[in-house]
Amino acid sequence: MLGRVEKKYGVVVVGGGPAGLGAALGARDYGEDKVLILDREPEAGGILLQCIHSGFGLHYFKEELTGPEYAQRFIEKVIDHDVDILPASYVSRIAADSDGIKKVRIINEKRGILTVEAQAVVLAMGCRERTRGAVRIPGTRPSGILTAGLAQKFVNLMGYLPGKKIAILGSGDIGLIMARRLSLEGCEVVGVFELMPYSNGLSRNVVQCLNDFNIPLHLSNTVAAIHGRDRVEKITVAPVGKDLKPDLARAWDVPCDTLLISIGLIPENELTQNLGISLDVATGGPRVSSTLETSMPGVFACGNVLHVHDLVDFVTNESLLAGRFAAELSRGVRRPGDNIQLLPGENVRYCVPHTLNPGHKHTVYLRCKAPMKPCKIRVGNLIEKKLRFVFPAEMIMLKLKPDLLDKFHGDSLRIDILPLAKEERND
Amino acid sequence: MTEAKQYTCIGCPIGCPLHLEHDGNTIKEVSGYECDRGAKYAHQEFIDPRRSLSTTVAISGAMWPRLPIRTCKPIHKDQVLEAVRKIQALKLQAPVKMGQVLIRDFMGEKGIDVVACRTMKRADESS
Repeated sequence: MLGRVEKKYGVVVVGGGPAGLGAALGARDYGEDKVLILDREPEAGGILLQCIHSGFGLHYFKEELTGPEYAQRFIEKVIDHDVDILPASYVSRIAADSDGIKKVRIINEKRGILTVEAQAVVLAMGCRERTRGAVRIPGTRPSGILTAGLAQKFVNLMGYLPGKKIAILGSGDIGLIMARRLSLEGCEVVGVFELMPYSNGLSRNVVQCLNDFNIPLHLSNTVAAIHGRDRVEKITVAPVGKDLKPDLARAWDVPCDTLLISIGLIPENELTQNLGISLDVATGGPRVSSTLETSMPGVFACGNVLHVHDLVDFVTNESLLAGRFAAELSRGVRRPGDNIQLLPGENVRYCVPHTLNPGHKHTVYLRCKAPMKPCKIRVGNLIEKKLRFVFPAEMIMLKLKPDLLDKFHGDSLRIDILPLAKEERND
Repeated sequence: MTEAKQYTCIGCPIGCPLHLEHDGNTIKEVSGYECDRGAKYAHQEFIDPRRSLSTTVAISGAMWPRLPIRTCKPIHKDQVLEAVRKIQALKLQAPVKMGQVLIRDFMGEKGIDVVACRTMKRADESS
């Protein structure tokens, strides 16, 4: 269907960032010796290559690394394990045969269009940034408006500064890190404006990226208009009320020549959608089983394409698993299907995976909708765990023991995050 | 007289809120941390605040025009901007290996080196 097959693989991984590298290693460690990584960039490593700050690997390597160091350690491992890497390769389509074999069509810079065959495919395309269009900021359309991650690529890989006087909309980690980065490079960062009443980034980034450089963080404020004909000249900032709508009567102007936008990430699932795979509206990624398999048998997903993580270490752990399960499938092992559905309940925005299976240990990742402290997390009537605080920007990781679900007889399990009752607070 | 300072630990993504009590230059008590890193950080932040520095330097003949670099240990917080200016003066030539020392005993501090954060091959070499 997609032309002549040039090579056959057990596992083909789409994307060579931390998720793709982890999945390839996971597959290799589980005995699949024909593994291919495809990446559209000129080299593998993904967004880690432009994340030059340290803070990666504390969980996985037990030391603090920069993004490029974290990536290179994995790239070296992957090469040592004889995984094929094909960079500068754009996957335009994946199709499944009636017998379940996947054909992956690739557009490669040097080799043109080619097709490879795979027993199992791991989707590891990562995510992309929300742009101005996603929040529809009124005003003109001058140059000088770009996402924080694109600015990061310009500064850290290509050696360009995006402007001199910079305003940042959104307090996600990328925005905070770029505030520091641009200050170090001699730009003036006039302020970070955040719609919500709390920062969306990690608190350590507010401390070391904003406070250290005396950059003001304006919570409950948004950009209400952009001004300037050819280049950004100023922005109008307005406080927002409880309804999150700008109060224009109290708006003020902030002169700047650049507006960086850091307002969240969207899993990049065009390929997934073309395959007709079922997506979760809350995560923006595919619905997956406890083996990280999507609704299409033999297609797995991990990393930010599945749900946006806040730590690369968690991406790595998830991807090693996805690779392992993909290798199991390519080598003919078929596990029984899941029979318990996980349901996000009170103050839970989503949980991944979407289904579970008794008799196995599981790691469930979830995010709350609103900050709460102190609180408890409840999984059906099976377990309850107290937490000092929950925060939408901080993913919660829940480990479930293999014997836990044995006592459970229903077909759906609800996860709730609830405030502590008064008598529960004092220990 | 005992005074108090509030910090947010930057040791890991949890970001514990730290409370440090001191009498003049003497630390009386630190609380609020969940691991040793928090206690260490509060002490360090009170006595001699330091930050690890990551930036890039110009490199020619490589796939990208910038090479990511970092100091192998944190430097004095108030010297960060001066340190970046010094590093910006560097001009490198590919190839460079990850971990390669580019400046030894940086800013006059023994044991603090500026190192390359990745390997950068020459652009004409196939990867």
